[in-house]
Amino acid sequence: MGTTKPRPPAKSSTTEARARSLPEKTFIIDNGAYTMKAGYAPESLPSEEPLSTCNTIPNTIAKTRGNRIYIGSQLNAQPTDLNEMMFRRPVEKGYIVNWEAQKEIWEHSFFDEKTVRSKEFRIASPEETTLVLTEAPNALPVLQKNADEMVMEEWGFGGYLRCVGPSLNAWNEVYSLFGDPISQKPDAVVSPAECLLVVDSGYSHTTVTPVYKGQPLQRAIRRLDLGGKHLTNYLKEMVSMRQYNMVDETYIMNEVKEAVCFVSDDISRDMERTWKGNRKRDQPDPGEGVVVDYVLPDPNAGKKGFMRPHDPLLGAKKRKSVLSGEAGAEALSEDVLVLGNERFTVPEILFTPSDIGMKQAGISDIILQSLSVLPPGLHPVFLANVLVVGGNALIPGFMERLQTELRQIATSECTVRVRCPEDPIRSAWLGASRLATNRDELKKVAITRQEYQEHGSSWAGRKFAGAV
Amino acid sequence: MYHIELLPNSTSHITPGWTYVPDPGFDPAKAAITPAIGRKRGIRDPGGRGDLSSRENNAIIRHLAELDRENHRDVQIPIPVKQKEPAGRGTRGKTTTNTRRILQSQKTFRNHLDDEEAHLSQTAQTTASNAPPRLSTKPSARRSSTPMTTPKAESTAKQRKQSSSSSSAAAQQQQQQPQQSETPAETPKPDTPAEPIAETETEPPAKKQRLIPSEYDNDPLLRSRIPSAPSERMMQALLSEPPLSYNAARAGPPVTKKAPRFFCCICGYWGKIRCRNCHVRMCGLGCYKVHEDSRCGAFL
Repeated sequence: MGTTKPRPPAKSSTTEARARSLPEKTFIIDNGAYTMKAGYAPESLPSEEPLSTCNTIPNTIAKTRGNRIYIGSQLNAQPTDLNEMMFRRPVEKGYIVNWEAQKEIWEHSFFDEKTVRSKEFRIASPEETTLVLTEAPNALPVLQKNADEMVMEEWGFGGYLRCVGPSLNAWNEVYSLFGDPISQKPDAVVSPAECLLVVDSGYSHTTVTPVYKGQPLQRAIRRLDLGGKHLTNYLKEMVSMRQYNMVDETYIMNEVKEAVCFVSDDISRDMERTWKGNRKRDQPDPGEGVVVDYVLPDPNAGKKGFMRPHDPLLGAKKRKSVLSGEAGAEALSEDVLVLGNERFTVPEILFTPSDIGMKQAGISDIILQSLSVLPPGLHPVFLANVLVVGGNALIPGFMERLQTELRQIATSECTVRVRCPEDPIRSAWLGASRLATNRDELKKVAITRQEYQEHGSSWAGRKFAGAV
Repeated sequence: MYHIELLPNSTSHITPGWTYVPDPGFDPAKAAITPAIGRKRGIRDPGGRGDLSSRENNAIIRHLAELDRENHRDVQIPIPVKQKEPAGRGTRGKTTTNTRRILQSQKTFRNHLDDEEAHLSQTAQTTASNAPPRLSTKPSARRSSTPMTTPKAESTAKQRKQSSSSSSAAAQQQQQQPQQSETPAETPKPDTPAEPIAETETEPPAKKQRLIPSEYDNDPLLRSRIPSAPSERMMQALLSEPPLSYNAARAGPPVTKKAPRFFCCICGYWGKIRCRNCHVRMCGLGCYKVHEDSRCGAFL
């Protein structure tokens, strides 16, 4: 360690006052298991396009068949060969576990000037930047300590805040989303919503977090160990068993899932519609509208996969055109997955985990479980302010189903309102950027580099836990 | 009723040949070696099909582990080697021992979680041995390693234990301190109705004075059922609680028991019949034929 950089003495006298306060610029990383949502917070609240500085970067190191390695945003540039892509993710179960990989991706996406997408997304000098880093709730203390030490000792950020990701959503403008009269003036300082029940259904798990004035109520946080990854794997397993072997095609199956899956509002009705036994000759197909074809991507022709209505006579047509010799080669080479009940039984496991034998409750039950440890006076206000974020919120029918189920099991005196923000994936980032404009509030919770050097990482851990 | 108790001393475990071990209950790892199925099952659990056999349990656990995978195969993806040393930035040169240790660590989440559990159970055990000795025989740190346990009752029991033990032991983790200080103002446990406290906390007398009295005031049918909001002091107490552990935050089993649904393993329709050899569900004879021909017994 002969290379330890001495603190420049000339600078320290001038920075003495400044080091006590947080640096002006705030960089926010919502470090998800699937994608990182990262970017500088705007100086003040912009009226339009508040998400323009937020960048979504795959949080992974991927390897193709040909042993080419892609890091983070290189995947956005669409490598041509998506087949049999393998992934290494630094975030496991929602928490940063492997810092070796995470450092590589961060360096690649935020620090290295050769690879960062553009100058606005680069952290040029961490010393003059405050970092806001999100974590999943109920993190292991040792992983929290690792994160603090890496941020402050590897990169040396000037200011740092590590906080529970879902709670940041409370800083968003949720009043208009729920149709409430806006209580604060538009030019007033940004403040968090008073009570918000955040359901965060992400890649690794689904959490329920009641947030009171921007702070999570720790005793009521509950987690369902199912997320988007499980849905993709479940769909992959079904398709591999019933149609083509897709076990190595995680990336493609994820795209299939995003294209075709929906949450059914009446599973037995949809099940009957897709059953082969109900298909009769000379009658309209009952599966019309539910059963679809997904045309798999063709890397040789450079074509992407897409969904289209199911064509039951596709096979016959193909054979016929071969015989007559008039069909083009492309129609013959295309591979089609026929998706019927897979479309809705896959997302169904989020609501009924017992479908795959899991002994945990579904999302709506978990919301009540979470509320049951809170004073009953809080139940009505949380049930009336349920916000769903995370990638799974984009599955069609998710909101309606959750609203219906919650309505059925909640007390009839309570209003139940389930809403989804415009961009559920970047909602936590947006909330953090609004928090960053409220300097006083940020100062209260964040730590400066100097404080860290004085007190060390265990103090930082206590500070972020609210114990100091 | 008698019981055998292992007193904590240094000589009790060196007897060769045998030892007392804590019985951790159902262990899927061991159950896989001697599956409890066979002809005698009807005698062992006369209740019939109410509970899953351990073989089915293992199949479910294996399936869930399968769904949790990142890639189908185990692959090692190395970090690409950089040609040029990143000397461009001033701060890049230094690495502290902490960061070097973190970067070189190859631990997985599972390893970290096991460490955490061991740490928690150790603190529970040391405090228990300081406490009256009747506690020491309890399997206090019993935590199953299955991914689907930890009902709520267990977590609250643990919470209670933490707060009780923190009063006995002086040297404690920092995260238990706030809880100890908050115990007087703590909200009731989930199994006790919280209404009385919530009502005493807010000040109802001031409101009641303003109401116009009438003869129907005490009519139980007209009473509002919506409880009042808790006081600010209680909210502060709630906010200052330490986070639950990873396992304690896992959601419990459903409160409202619905009939389990089964799906056909071939086509995904309702699983109405079972294969008599491998107990896999099928929707009808058509799918059963496919199953019998191709994959009967292959996946269990």
